Amino acid sequence: MLKIADLSATQTVTLPLINSRMTLRGALSLLVVLLAAIPLVFVIHSSLQLDSEGWVGLWSSRLPGLLWNTLSLSVLVGVGSIVLGVSAAWWITRREFPGRRIAIWLMVLPLTIPTYVFAHIYTTLFDDSGWIGQAWQWLFGEAVAIPDLFNVVGVSFILTLAGFSYVFLLVQDSLSRSQQNLEEAARIQGARPAQVFWRINLPLMRPAIAAGLALVVLHVLSDFGAVSMMRYQTFTLSIYLQMTGRFDYNAAAGLSLVLVSLSLTFLILERFFRNRQRYYGTAQAKRYTARRATRFEIVAIWFWLGLIALFAFVLPILWMLIWSWEAWMQDLISDRFWGYVGNSLLVSVLAASLTVIVALPVALYHARERSWLSQAYLHVSSVGFVLPGPVIALGILAFVLSQVDILYGSLAVLVIAMLIRFLPLAIQAQEAAAQQLTPSMEEAARSLGAGTWENLRRIILPMIRGGMISAWVLVFIDTLKELPATLILRPTGFDTLPVRIWIEASEEMLELAAPAALMLVIGTLPVLWFLMRPVKQR
Amino acid sequence: MKSRLLLVFLAGLFSLQALAADPLVIYSGRSDKFVKPVVEAFEKETGIKVLLHAGGSTALLNKLKLEGDRTDADLYISNDAGNLQKGSEMGLFRPISDEIAQVIPANYRAPDNSWLGLSARARMLVANSEQSQTDFVKSVFDLADPRLEDKLAITHSGNESYIAGVTVYMLAAGEEATGDWLQGMKDNVGGSVFNKHSKIVNAVADGKKAIGLVNHYYIYRHLDQHPDAPLKVIIPDQGENGMGVAWNVAGVALSRHSQKVEAAEKFLAFAVSEKGQKMFAEVNREYPTRPGVPAADEVPPRDSYKVADVPMARLGDMRNATLDLIEEVGMP
Repeated sequence: MLKIADLSATQTVTLPLINSRMTLRGALSLLVVLLAAIPLVFVIHSSLQLDSEGWVGLWSSRLPGLLWNTLSLSVLVGVGSIVLGVSAAWWITRREFPGRRIAIWLMVLPLTIPTYVFAHIYTTLFDDSGWIGQAWQWLFGEAVAIPDLFNVVGVSFILTLAGFSYVFLLVQDSLSRSQQNLEEAARIQGARPAQVFWRINLPLMRPAIAAGLALVVLHVLSDFGAVSMMRYQTFTLSIYLQMTGRFDYNAAAGLSLVLVSLSLTFLILERFFRNRQRYYGTAQAKRYTARRATRFEIVAIWFWLGLIALFAFVLPILWMLIWSWEAWMQDLISDRFWGYVGNSLLVSVLAASLTVIVALPVALYHARERSWLSQAYLHVSSVGFVLPGPVIALGILAFVLSQVDILYGSLAVLVIAMLIRFLPLAIQAQEAAAQQLTPSMEEAARSLGAGTWENLRRIILPMIRGGMISAWVLVFIDTLKELPATLILRPTGFDTLPVRIWIEASEEMLELAAPAALMLVIGTLPVLWFLMRPVKQR
Repeated sequence: MKSRLLLVFLAGLFSLQALAADPLVIYSGRSDKFVKPVVEAFEKETGIKVLLHAGGSTALLNKLKLEGDRTDADLYISNDAGNLQKGSEMGLFRPISDEIAQVIPANYRAPDNSWLGLSARARMLVANSEQSQTDFVKSVFDLADPRLEDKLAITHSGNESYIAGVTVYMLAAGEEATGDWLQGMKDNVGGSVFNKHSKIVNAVADGKKAIGLVNHYYIYRHLDQHPDAPLKVIIPDQGENGMGVAWNVAGVALSRHSQKVEAAEKFLAFAVSEKGQKMFAEVNREYPTRPGVPAADEVPPRDSYKVADVPMARLGDMRNATLDLIEEVGMP
């Protein structure tokens, strides 16, 4: 170790040698990227077997409709999430009002509820005999039909509720870090509040909005649970049906390839918009302090936040509690149930921990290098997020069976799948943190004789700890909720909470699905608390 | 990398654990609550441990196919004969010994005995007994009649039972007539279909819809909970020229790569025994496929009506053609 330290100390002086240090990260990143690319290789390989006639068939019959369905859904959910997420984040960071901490929690908690649970609950609530259905008939009478959720608006409603929290989290984080001096400068120059918002705040928020939007849209593109429950044909659902209903892997792979190109285009655009601006904050600048809200503002804020919270969290959680109570009273919660809880936690902890470690080299590599190569690594490693879960599962299955079949049937396969699926989350979070670590710090450490590992241990890791924690939490939460890949890859008889929710809900055993959904929420609470803690300290 | 070592270690750990227990593994696409009682009775009778791996019928079949000889599965249970026949065509199963298979009539098992139908569900019509506009309905094809505009309740076209039903009608009436029929039904559903069969029965009982096409047991399940519901069961397509009621079976197959054929055949023998048949079918008010074992008391006896004479294996051969037709019409 010492030797390396000595070497790198001299390296800072002789430039060319720095590259050799970079290649360690580069090499590790390459390894990670190769792992992440397994499902993509599977997709390309399978779609190559689709003959030209098959492609023509896809183009003429399915693609236009699917493209329209998928794009319109993404746009609606994207817009909805920005409206909800940005407005909530703005009020919460800019005004001091009673219950502000609770409001933050209420905006984040929907993340703990999987999309298929939202879908299941809302289709039940909007039913004739459901709460909303009843309320609707009481308000408008029998003449006005209860809104039908089985269309693009209904699905957007559900996916927006399930996803807007990502935008909220990132925008709120960026707003609470934003520094007062720019706004003050603008105001001194005579800018009106609206001008300040459009010319200062919005551009500053843009990277956070873009990143949040990317998360939301990628979740929409890869969502399986909600769209299949609501039978809304997106690419992901169509791919799944093609695969399982007709055993047509090649056509499924062809559709996947189109989906991947679509998602990558979107990601590259997002990166492009984000890259144009970088702000290095200076430690001395004053942070924005929230102004006390007037009485009218308090009412307005709570009306709006309360409305969001009602649909995104309160109604679903009430539903879960009532049915769980029912299950408890009927003594339906057996040892087996606690086994599902244990299984879910085991997979999620393993996957989150591994993913954070594996993502680190790629994140650091890109944060420092910012070359076309590091950019390419980033995009390839995003594949996990843009490919539908079932396709990733099949890709990994094919790979494991043909290359390392000793692993087959073990938990390891499932954990690897989760790793590949949620790697981009971990990379994004850690890379964002690493960006704030100005190169000069590392250089200073190096000039004081710190080697690669010491630098990593004493400078980089402590500095990006916040990013690592967020990465861990995000992967943990998504793994805990993951359904389609788990359905295919879990070891025989290994049921997780989402799997049970899926099985019980499709059999209309509400009193069995509800406790499992409730456990998902409860299981996520401690890690969410961990994620939210730094917010409090700021 | 450390993580790799950890993974391999964990892998070892879990595969060892699996080996130690070594139960009979059943991939089951049928509801846990219907399969569990049978499995528990079997475990009690034979002392053989069973591990149920639940999931969607088609997803499990895909898993079986991809796993090849690495599969843990000894048996595969599906709610749909179409899936069973598909698996058979893909060579995933092995023939079941004659003495067990021949207990089940030929129409309800694979031609090569690679799967057996265990319980049957009938596609029946349920009507609201307080509304008279459905009195003319004698056949499922009457559901396309314009008189039923906005009055018809059917499920979505991803439903396995629905697809199987359409296959039967297509074999009986031809592709063109079935296409017209689908088109007519599409016009009658009033823009939306139901995602659950149970909701169809609810809607008919509430009078929101006049008539619905469902698996028979949903009607009797509803009547069990609401004995006074104004429901009328119409057994369609009877009479001399009627094609009969469309049936579909839930069944079981023996995995080609099972290492425990003996234990698996014991399960099969149990499933076709009179006791097993009664248990398998009765929990869901289905018809046992073994002749002489009666169905639940409340459902119409199997000999009291005519069943469409279609071998269940055809539900697999014809499935892609049916899906194409449904897609062509654009059924929701």
